[in-house]
Amino acid sequence: MDTVGSEVILTIKGVSKSFPGVRALDGVSVDVRRGTVHGIVGENGAGKSTLMKILSGVYQKDSGKVVFDGQTIEHTTPQESMHRGLAIIYQELNLVNTMSVGENIFLGRFKEMKGMRGTHAKAGELLESIGCKISTSKLVSELSVSEKQMVEIAKALSFKSKLIIMDEPSSSLTGEEMCELIKIIHQLKAQGISIIYISHKLDEIFDFCDIVTVMRDGHVIDTKPKVDFTRDDLITKMVGRTIENEYPERPRCAGDTLMEVQSINTHKLHDISFTLRKGEILGLVGLVGAGRTEIVRALYGADKVRGHRVLIKGKPVTIRNPKEAKDAGFGFIPEDRKLQGLVLPFSVESNISMASISNFSKFGFIRKSLEKGIGTRQVKALNVKTPSTRVPVRNLSGGNQQKCIVGRWMEISPSIFIMDEPTKGIDVGAKYEIYSLMKEIAERGGAIILISSELPEVLNMSNRVLTIFEGRITGEFDPESTSVDKIMKAALGIVGGCA
Amino acid sequence: MNRSGIGESLYKLATKQKAFIAILVMMGGMLFSGTNFYTVYNLLDMLNSTSILLILSFGVTLTIVSGGCDLSIGGILVVSGITAIKLLDFMPIWLAILCAVLFGAVVGFINGFLVVKQKTEPFIITLGMGLLLTGIAQQLTDAHPIPAKNPDFMMIGNGDIFGVPNLVLIMLVCFGISFWLMRYTQFGRNLYAIGGDYDVARYSGIDVIRTKWIGFVISGAAAGLAGVLLSSKLNTGSSVYGELTALVVNCGVVVGGTSFAGGIGGIPQSALGLLVFGMLDNVMNMLNISSYYQVMLKGTVIVGIIWLDCFANKRRREFV
Amino acid sequence: MHRESVSINAVISVVRDYLVLVMIAALVAITAVIEPKFMSGANLVNIMRQFGPLIMVSLGMTFVIIGGFIDLSVAGTINLVAVVTISLIQPLGQVPALLIGLTIGAVCGGLNSALILSSGALTQAEALFITFGMSTVYSAIALLYSGGSTMHFWDISASKSVFEAIGGGNVGFLSVSFVIFLVCLALLWVFQTKTSEGRAICLTGGNKTAARLAGVQVSRAIVVIYMICGLMAGVGAIVLFSRITTAAPVIGAGYETNAILSVVVGGTTLKGGKGSVLRTVMGVLLVILMSNCLDLLGVSSYLQYAVKGAILVFAIWLDNRKQA
Repeated sequence: MDTVGSEVILTIKGVSKSFPGVRALDGVSVDVRRGTVHGIVGENGAGKSTLMKILSGVYQKDSGKVVFDGQTIEHTTPQESMHRGLAIIYQELNLVNTMSVGENIFLGRFKEMKGMRGTHAKAGELLESIGCKISTSKLVSELSVSEKQMVEIAKALSFKSKLIIMDEPSSSLTGEEMCELIKIIHQLKAQGISIIYISHKLDEIFDFCDIVTVMRDGHVIDTKPKVDFTRDDLITKMVGRTIENEYPERPRCAGDTLMEVQSINTHKLHDISFTLRKGEILGLVGLVGAGRTEIVRALYGADKVRGHRVLIKGKPVTIRNPKEAKDAGFGFIPEDRKLQGLVLPFSVESNISMASISNFSKFGFIRKSLEKGIGTRQVKALNVKTPSTRVPVRNLSGGNQQKCIVGRWMEISPSIFIMDEPTKGIDVGAKYEIYSLMKEIAERGGAIILISSELPEVLNMSNRVLTIFEGRITGEFDPESTSVDKIMKAALGIVGGCA
Repeated sequence: MNRSGIGESLYKLATKQKAFIAILVMMGGMLFSGTNFYTVYNLLDMLNSTSILLILSFGVTLTIVSGGCDLSIGGILVVSGITAIKLLDFMPIWLAILCAVLFGAVVGFINGFLVVKQKTEPFIITLGMGLLLTGIAQQLTDAHPIPAKNPDFMMIGNGDIFGVPNLVLIMLVCFGISFWLMRYTQFGRNLYAIGGDYDVARYSGIDVIRTKWIGFVISGAAAGLAGVLLSSKLNTGSSVYGELTALVVNCGVVVGGTSFAGGIGGIPQSALGLLVFGMLDNVMNMLNISSYYQVMLKGTVIVGIIWLDCFANKRRREFV
Repeated sequence: MHRESVSINAVISVVRDYLVLVMIAALVAITAVIEPKFMSGANLVNIMRQFGPLIMVSLGMTFVIIGGFIDLSVAGTINLVAVVTISLIQPLGQVPALLIGLTIGAVCGGLNSALILSSGALTQAEALFITFGMSTVYSAIALLYSGGSTMHFWDISASKSVFEAIGGGNVGFLSVSFVIFLVCLALLWVFQTKTSEGRAICLTGGNKTAARLAGVQVSRAIVVIYMICGLMAGVGAIVLFSRITTAAPVIGAGYETNAILSVVVGGTTLKGGKGSVLRTVMGVLLVILMSNCLDLLGVSSYLQYAVKGAILVFAIWLDNRKQA
């Protein structure tokens, strides 16, 4: 399809946006044409979602110009944006789980649709138009991720959207579901609707995008028709530096078997068994929702799981709660540091000392001086940027907050360190620091179980990778000698291309 | 799947339809009790006694569905009842009733302000409000019930039309209105959205603040109306019925299937839940259980229900 | 960093923290001027006497609130402990009766925590309903046990010297109950600020999930806070009936409201994690002084109840603004 000559529907010119301490977008300019699928690629922190949130009205730009469908857009709200014909489908999905599909599509427009009957009728029509056969009275909580996405697309269509932004839609889709989505994207394109497709998965970009924009560190690096890019070109522009500098040298310290896990079975996990060696970094790769976090939580005693066996250094160990796990030598960095990892109003010192209270108490009494020592020691060792250890930890940046959690565990030197998304939402500099730390831990004989949605991260840091799909271990690979494609196929479960 | 399909669906049925099962159990038990339970007179009387609690529950449902709760209804109940009786001396009945209902609406407005605008925890702030109002009620009555002197007023709560008590009729009208509100109006659907996911509702352009606020106003007004009806029925203004009522009504709504988490449930469910308590009262009276035991039983039932609700939520949740 | 606003915020938070002290001073000053009887020896003794039961209960309640929960069952616990203890003085002797009474308090608290833990209740709202329900259960048990009747000291021929001492005795120029209060305060303060379990309780209140994942024994902390609350309610019950020399099965009415009020007014936040028993002492002082002043000014007790409700609402609102 010849897209070069078609009309521009969205113009972004010189848009900038800053947050305290971070310049998220710096003079970004891009044109999107009608009826095209426009891919936006970039690493985490490149500014893609900030830009999208400005377009959809969640954030307000600091400067620059946005023109959509001929209208210049200044301060706007999400609702105004939708009504204008600019829809966005978030990765976290903006649906009310407790309500039906039909009501979700017309949320807030009950009156317009003339009540329940009108709502469900029109909703049914919209879903049919994209080939979706879900019943409109089904509750959203009962849908799969792929079905929820279709509901979101129907919602966008209900606003007669001219532009639909899809933010990382494929992170939880199987191969088949992805094919469905691609079909729908082509259908929408045929109807003259433009799509902005945000992803960091290059295969998808090359598959069905017409034009590609590369972003990095808040800038637009290049915008060209896809055919004018090569893969290497794209990667280089995305990363901006040679890949070797992004990660420290992979540690190669794997020794004897440290831990053996046998048969974890829950309603989500099926017969999970694996081993872990001393000084090894074991990566768990899989789609969001495949069960990686469930596995480590079962291991750590965070979830009530029975019937499995854990052997550490050959001896069986019972772990029924995190305290017993800690005593057995585990450390645990949870997925969501704000909700599950930190007590935000408490001081940096308290947050760091949380796991080692018994170390600074004698006969049940706390020795404040010893606690202070812990705080200062870890802040220094991990280079945590904070005015003092007494400030509330909520004042720190994401990266420094994460370091506090790491420091908490470093204090007791766990032999098995579980890290669930340790570098999520952290700037590149802090990421490197955490990678170096992981290397140090491995070199000192500690074992790490690493979960990350950043495939490059897992592949570059792990000595061994397990692929998880729908609660099962589908493969074990050496990331150094196996192709990324092979690993991804195992993580996606079903092999095969699209019709 | 580890659990057998039948076991799992039975469990689901038990937790979703707790109210229904509780009622079946009680009705089944009463078959063998040899009392007058199964007479039209008793069943109608049971409905009559529960009507006031039902009206309260319709209002409260609005707040719970939107993610809050209203524990001040007991306080509103007693103060509005006393207010109505006191005002009867100066003005026609309809005006006194209107003032009492308006009073409830004003309290609801203040509750709404504190919860929605000031973002305070609803359960504790409405509890405080309820205590404040109970104190006022005691002050107004000097802890002695005030008798009403107006026979017409008494007829409202005690009369009947073609054998059906007025209270039941009024309750049915309220049921109809609130059912329509929750099921067939934008306002009602918005309440569900807000309770289901506050942020999603907000992003979809729903005026979350105004909608939730109005929910509290309606809850207060319903409590005001219930207060008037109670005074009329007893023909006195009394400060006694406050504390336990709020707990019972909120719990009854939860029993029926409207969870404190918000976003699910509705008027028919709440009605069923309150009927559990209404029937429990009736059954206990029929069986001549002493009032000491009655209170204890009610307390036990409340604990049991909330315990079950939490336990069911725990199973649904994956994380701590 | 915005230095200017930090220091202004610091000033505001200091003012808010000491608001209670300021209010106490103001109230005392105003009442002393309006009603000279306020400063009389008899009145001051009266004030000191009221301190006993409420402060005990409030100290226990402080722990529950710091832990992020709430306990509405203290009234029922007080009822139960009072009627059982007084009834056992004759058959078992005063010391065993005393010990049994305290045990009952702790058991009630333990039962509350067992219900909360077993149901997986996480929020304060759920704990509120469960403990309120248990309050009716404990009160009902008290009513059944006592048959609805009140027991008086003059009905008991056995020695009640311990209780009489608690109720009216003196150690030097301090009343026995005041000494008990000081001892409890010291123990609880040390426990809260200086022990690892006290820290565990704060962490549980701060973020239950994070605490648990960091290896803190959250379940144990929950049991501890409720048992302390129950135990202190028991202590309060004993001080109470010793003072008025009778135990009616409704003796505990209203204590849960006053206790929560004292804790919140004292500055401990309902959200949990932060707080102090010392602050609660200030809160109790304010509540008692307020009651005393209002009494002297001729305000009816019902209106006082309403005023307390209003202050509770105001205090919660203020607490909420502070935390935002």
